[in-house]
Amino acid sequence: MPAVQAKSISCPNCGGPVELRGFAHTLSVVCPQCHSVLDASTPEVEILQKFQAKTQIAPTIALGARGKFENATYEVIGFQIREVSESGDSYSWNEYLLFNPYHGFRYLTEYNGHWNFVHVESALPEQSRSAGKLAMQYGGKTYLAFDSMKASTVYVLGEFPWRVRTGDSVACQDFVSPPSMLSSESSSGEITWSRAEYMPGSQVWQAFKLAGSPPPAYGIFANQPSPYGGSVGSSWSTWLWLNVALAALVFLFMVLSPGRVAFSDHYAYSARLKNDSAFVTPTFQLDGRNANVELSIHTDLDNNWAYFSFALINDQTGQTFDFAREVSYYHDSDGNEGSRSNSVIVPSVPSGQYYLRVEPEMDPGAPFVRYDLEVKRNVPNYGFFGLAALLLFIPPVITTFRKGGFEAARWRESDYAPSLSKSSDSGGGDDD
Amino acid sequence: MNTPIFVIYGAMLLGLTGVAEYQGWSWSRVNQQKVLPKSIRDNPGAYRSSYGGYSRYIGGK
Repeated sequence: MPAVQAKSISCPNCGGPVELRGFAHTLSVVCPQCHSVLDASTPEVEILQKFQAKTQIAPTIALGARGKFENATYEVIGFQIREVSESGDSYSWNEYLLFNPYHGFRYLTEYNGHWNFVHVESALPEQSRSAGKLAMQYGGKTYLAFDSMKASTVYVLGEFPWRVRTGDSVACQDFVSPPSMLSSESSSGEITWSRAEYMPGSQVWQAFKLAGSPPPAYGIFANQPSPYGGSVGSSWSTWLWLNVALAALVFLFMVLSPGRVAFSDHYAYSARLKNDSAFVTPTFQLDGRNANVELSIHTDLDNNWAYFSFALINDQTGQTFDFAREVSYYHDSDGNEGSRSNSVIVPSVPSGQYYLRVEPEMDPGAPFVRYDLEVKRNVPNYGFFGLAALLLFIPPVITTFRKGGFEAARWRESDYAPSLSKSSDSGGGDDD
Repeated sequence: MNTPIFVIYGAMLLGLTGVAEYQGWSWSRVNQQKVLPKSIRDNPGAYRSSYGGYSRYIGGK
């Protein structure tokens, strides 16, 4: 923006010089020396209001500072603090009035480190409802009602395109569609609509080339974009693709690990026979790389149990894998329990010639049991795939919960918080 | 968790699953005894399994 000579007037209260940067747009201006609010619309420059604040406040962004927003340079020409008092609690926010001779006025608002760049809108939004809430349709977006309040101006500096006074109050209503917010201000039957875009403090600091870093933002602001907004959808989409990859992996190992039968045979055992129950099988060949071996036991047990101690022994090296499995099957009129079959997967068995040592055990009074043993080489262990599928669930579920938590925290600050929505809806949340 | 971290986590998880499958890992409790005399083949009752001696009632309906 080219440097333009600002118009200057004298303060009728203290005689000090008062610069006017907003040209003919300026209707009121605050004297920088005595803080009297002056009427700048007439050559007489009347005093509208004398300084009433107990302390002088220096805005974070000084009057006259220039910053670039939306490819245009804006100058800070006014500053006001607005306050809301509700049920004994009060909070306030800062509003900077920005001016560009070609683009007009914009506002920059700051509350607890949360910044918004604000346009005054000339078109009117359309009232509607969304998800059972009062909403506004504007610019193709749906803005949900967030809160309503009566805001009072408690401190002013600089110049304004209206006759500003401390103590002025307006009824405000906010509708959010993060990162945008639609706000209405109404006073004396006039309603002004504005649209705010959430802006990180760092962007404001960069625009005005302010020294240091912006103060951290506290809490969650009404139109603050959720840090998890896009990531929930993308994390579920990533989850889907990873599951496709997992399914491909399952298919690959079903092909690579077909589970070739290396040995199978039928046996019988009776605990009533007093001879040694342990025996060894004929040798069988386990081929290929180090891979697992699955031993399956299928019995004809009926309301009984059997316990099998196994040793898978390499005939050449004597290397032994020692393991055991219990099989039990019971049933009555209430249903059944257990299974007639069981299996065990022996990990990382080298290739070679093997045999099994089998030692069945049963209750001494138990009847005769028939059982089959089957040894398979290189079987897919679906437990690992199941565990992987379960662990893949964790990130998107966490992201979804965190987004939910963020939104819950946002709406807790609203007049339309879930627990209040019915009463707020019926009341419309309207203070105006 | 943002997506790139999730992709890395998922890739590592799938990689580990692939290694576990390829190496033939298992959850099963298996006691590996390195040396066993060849005489076991002729006298299987002489071998004492780590899991033997189970003759007791273990419940049921």
